[in-house]
Amino acid sequence: MSGRARRILFLAQIALCVLLVAAVLIPVFLSSMPWPLSARDYLQANGLAESGASNLVSAIYLGYRAFDTLGETIVLLVAISGTIAIIAHGGAVLAQGYGLPSGTASEPARHLPPKTRTELLEVVTGKLGPVVLVFGVYVMMYGHLSPGGGFQGGVVIASGIVFLALGSRVDASNSLTSPENLVRIESAAFALLLLAASSGIISGSGFFGNPLAGAGLTPVAFIITLNAIIGLKVGAGLGFMCIAMLGRGK
Amino acid sequence: MLERILILLLFLIGFAGIVGMRNIIKKIFGLTIINSAVVLLFIVEGSRIGNSAPIIDAEIGLVVDPVPQALMLTAIVIGVCVTALALALAFRLYKAYGSFDIDEIHRQVHRES
Repeated sequence: MSGRARRILFLAQIALCVLLVAAVLIPVFLSSMPWPLSARDYLQANGLAESGASNLVSAIYLGYRAFDTLGETIVLLVAISGTIAIIAHGGAVLAQGYGLPSGTASEPARHLPPKTRTELLEVVTGKLGPVVLVFGVYVMMYGHLSPGGGFQGGVVIASGIVFLALGSRVDASNSLTSPENLVRIESAAFALLLLAASSGIISGSGFFGNPLAGAGLTPVAFIITLNAIIGLKVGAGLGFMCIAMLGRGK
Repeated sequence: MLERILILLLFLIGFAGIVGMRNIIKKIFGLTIINSAVVLLFIVEGSRIGNSAPIIDAEIGLVVDPVPQALMLTAIVIGVCVTALALALAFRLYKAYGSFDIDEIHRQVHRES
């Protein structure tokens, strides 16, 4: 079979594949069932009073469904552990575990290759990094009032950390962008999250119960605390993964 | 209806990328596009019953349903984790076989065995 015919056959196979998937998905995507109103109506009426957060999305993922958030942070932790095993230390962890020779994955680059280090990148990212960090903290701490929250603010903080890592001079990595510190922050934030989740047990409202709900205090302080912890965790975790992929994971 | 057709097309583009591309990195991009399409579908569906953001203010009309938004927050974070792990595996494959081409890797694996 000539190369041209083989290519046409390949394209035809892809087209057939896509058509079959489209046939399966068209009923899913184009159906117009009436959307149930009960959850929205209940949350709009009671969400602010019960959780204290006027941002209803925050009220759900930190108040009503905080277990989801715990599971999500565990997924993040697993992804970071995987990245450490596969990439950081030049993949030496994985190579040892499988008895592979780790000779191919020797010394990782101590600094960025010359092409990515320009004056423009250095000046812009170095100056922009702190501003992005401050904005991330704002998004994180005001997540109960405005669009935002722990996850969104954490991602902004992670991009600030990546900016700082890109803008810092060779071998002058500051302590915020050093992978060891980021992993420490990540683990400490996870421990804090578990502690905060257990704090409701003391006041009798159960795991992930709001300890401030019955004490006469405004219950929103619990949501702000959880937002801050999750923001730290997501920021440190994603920042670590990006820095490990920049080749500084050693 | 138009937006849902466009989201379906986005999903199919991502699927065609996974099936048709030989480069592993492009396959991972296809996975990300599929993830975005599903997130968009949920947000569009949940926004049909209201017209303002789900933030309680003094004067407010009907808000959109916040439940799919909270669900998609989870989906986005997990999508990022999946992408990061897939990229790390692609990096590892590149170190082992010196290529991102899936056919080339397949050939080398067969030659070894």
